[in-house]
Amino acid sequence: MLDAFSAPYMQRALVEIALLAVLAGVLGAWIVLRRLAFFTHSVGTATFPGLVVAGPWGIAPQLAALIAALGFAGARERLARGREGEEDAATGILLVGALALGALLASDVYRSGAGVDRLLFGTLIGLSGRDLALTALAAALALAADAALRRAWLARAFDPDGARALGVAVAWPERILLAAVAGAVIVALAAVGALLVSVVLVVPAATVRLLARDVRTLQLGTGALAAVEGVAALWLADGLNVSPGPAMAVLGGAVFALVALLTRGRS
Amino acid sequence: MLSDPITRRALFEVLILALALGPLGVWVLLHRQAYAAESMSHGLLPGLVLAALAGVPLVLGAAGGALLAAGAIALAARDERIRADLGVAVAVSALFGLGALLALAPEAPPRLEELLFGDLLGISGADLLAAAGLALAVCAALAAAHRPLALTAFDRGAAHALGARALHWETVLLVLLGVGTVAAAPGLGSLLLVALVIAPAAAALRVTRRLAPALALAAAIAAGAGFGGLALSYYADLAAGASVAMCAVAAPILTRLAT
Amino acid sequence: MSAPLVRTEELSGGYRPGTDALTGVTFAAEAGEVVAILGPNGGGKSTLFRALLGELPQRRGTVELAGRPAYVPQTERARLDFPVSALDVALMGAYGRTPWYRRLARADRAAARAALARVGLEAEAGERFGALSGGQRQRVLIARALVQDAPVLLLDEPLSGVDAPSAARIEALFEELRGEGRALLVATHDVRQARSWQRVLCLHGRQIAYGDPAAVLTPDVLQATYGAELVVLGDGSTAIAVEHHEH
Repeated sequence: MLDAFSAPYMQRALVEIALLAVLAGVLGAWIVLRRLAFFTHSVGTATFPGLVVAGPWGIAPQLAALIAALGFAGARERLARGREGEEDAATGILLVGALALGALLASDVYRSGAGVDRLLFGTLIGLSGRDLALTALAAALALAADAALRRAWLARAFDPDGARALGVAVAWPERILLAAVAGAVIVALAAVGALLVSVVLVVPAATVRLLARDVRTLQLGTGALAAVEGVAALWLADGLNVSPGPAMAVLGGAVFALVALLTRGRS
Repeated sequence: MLSDPITRRALFEVLILALALGPLGVWVLLHRQAYAAESMSHGLLPGLVLAALAGVPLVLGAAGGALLAAGAIALAARDERIRADLGVAVAVSALFGLGALLALAPEAPPRLEELLFGDLLGISGADLLAAAGLALAVCAALAAAHRPLALTAFDRGAAHALGARALHWETVLLVLLGVGTVAAAPGLGSLLLVALVIAPAAAALRVTRRLAPALALAAAIAAGAGFGGLALSYYADLAAGASVAMCAVAAPILTRLAT
Repeated sequence: MSAPLVRTEELSGGYRPGTDALTGVTFAAEAGEVVAILGPNGGGKSTLFRALLGELPQRRGTVELAGRPAYVPQTERARLDFPVSALDVALMGAYGRTPWYRRLARADRAAARAALARVGLEAEAGERFGALSGGQRQRVLIARALVQDAPVLLLDEPLSGVDAPSAARIEALFEELRGEGRALLVATHDVRQARSWQRVLCLHGRQIAYGDPAAVLTPDVLQATYGAELVVLGDGSTAIAVEHHEH
């Protein structure tokens, strides 16, 4: 089994997964506690058109993804303005619009049909040094943000009304959290794809949430679980000749279901 | 364009779907179930893949996938320890990943792109008939259930007092959503079909809040999107399903800009 | 006589421009006073607290406060499924005075433990917040306010739905806090309770009355405040209980 991990591409993939596990651990807890799972998934999906044009236009995929995500955020802001209860529908419409746009760009403009799988579900063999460097940067920034702002994030998550009354700053820690999550999504795209960023950033945290009694444990447990699931997914992906995203999705889902079943008695 | 038999077939399919999905979408939005619509369509992917691998009509796979997805989502939403939308997110991403895994792993993989983005022009006869049948069934059911659906949508305060009745009709709506999803999956694909459900309806509801006009307008906008999308696809040589989806999405964006 | 810890004059405001949720509130709370805020739901009690906390978007009139007030919300508003212990929650009271680049001081941890002991929950410090009873959770939120060490405390229905032992503890704590020279503003539905405190402020969108409970809490005032025929009820935990004194 260890032979599988000796190839250079696998070693890069391992490093990437380890770094993503750090991101999953640090930010996944907050994603789950602050109910940002849909936001995480949305950002991932929204980047798809950007990813499609990145190669042909010669821009770094992460940059194209960032621009696409910002465009999406702006459009979302304008589309759902005012009307309450329309946010879900507005986001859903823009997401399917992003997918359709990406599909159009891929099918006609760039005839890159075969590459679409890689963009949607990630790649095992296509990770570059730059991808790793950016992921490492994102992980370092996430750790720093967590160290500085975890109290603000906790107060806001626990009691939104009372947080400001406590004298805790709320607005800019919130913005930094959303930016950190978006950044994590953007660097996770390479490995797991635009449609499955949740399997790294959300699912392990949701699983450990069923067990953890405090935030620190939640974070550490999530990081560990994400690392284990990630490595197993890499091995599975290599063996089945698929991308890591789907492999991790199935593993993560199975582990979550198992833990949910086993802990059902607890309150 | 209309002289081309392939396009005629696709137009027939998409117009029938529009007739069902337009009004269905209005009910979905009025009951605040946009997220359920998206989850259902993504979650049924494994069914589509298995049908493609087995060589059976995609509609059957979609039906099986939808049942599995509905079951998984219902289970996940029931657990009180995690909030419903987190459980649904986990279930949908697992199912979706499973679908992708099944599609990417085999030696002779099915055309995953067609399952994701639809194969409107290449749809089989069986799928076309099934889609038409199911769509018409949805239309009929929506017409029959019009009054109770209106009651539960608009009178949410009283709906709570109605208790079991309200839940019953919400479930009926979700079932119809499932049927509509299954009808549209082979043609528009797991990722794009939701465009025809929520986008025309969103546009219609921006124009009018009166129920009957909204239902009719949603169907009309959906039909327009279908026609426009196929025209775009034919003349500009673009992917058909994606073109239809883009036209559908354009509708609420344009109405938003105009109001 | 020293300045009151809370003073407002013609305080008005709302959440949207043009519509006022509250008008003409003029009152003061001195050190050592418990002021009951009476009024129906939606009548302006929460709005008043928001205004005092500086969170009301459209605010007019004068507000004078001796420092940032501590706010004790109703327990239902806090998340019950959260991975935090009672001690973690109490410790949040120190967050406001600790800049983001500093760790929490050991003194703050000690203060949190002491606050929990003061509300009688020393043994439950390590328990998960959501696993505690309603009354215990309310006491933890009060402990959080104690850690904040604010001269003014705003409490939103701290005794509603709370078991009798917890309620007794909380009321005893109010007396202690009075003795420390703090001012407490307590939103409540319990008229009986309001009579036992130093001042009462009746709100129904606007200020109906303010002053000594014995003088203020007449049937007329209560009628104007609650806007409906008042009913005598046997148990008074969340419903309005008015004692009609038959002379």
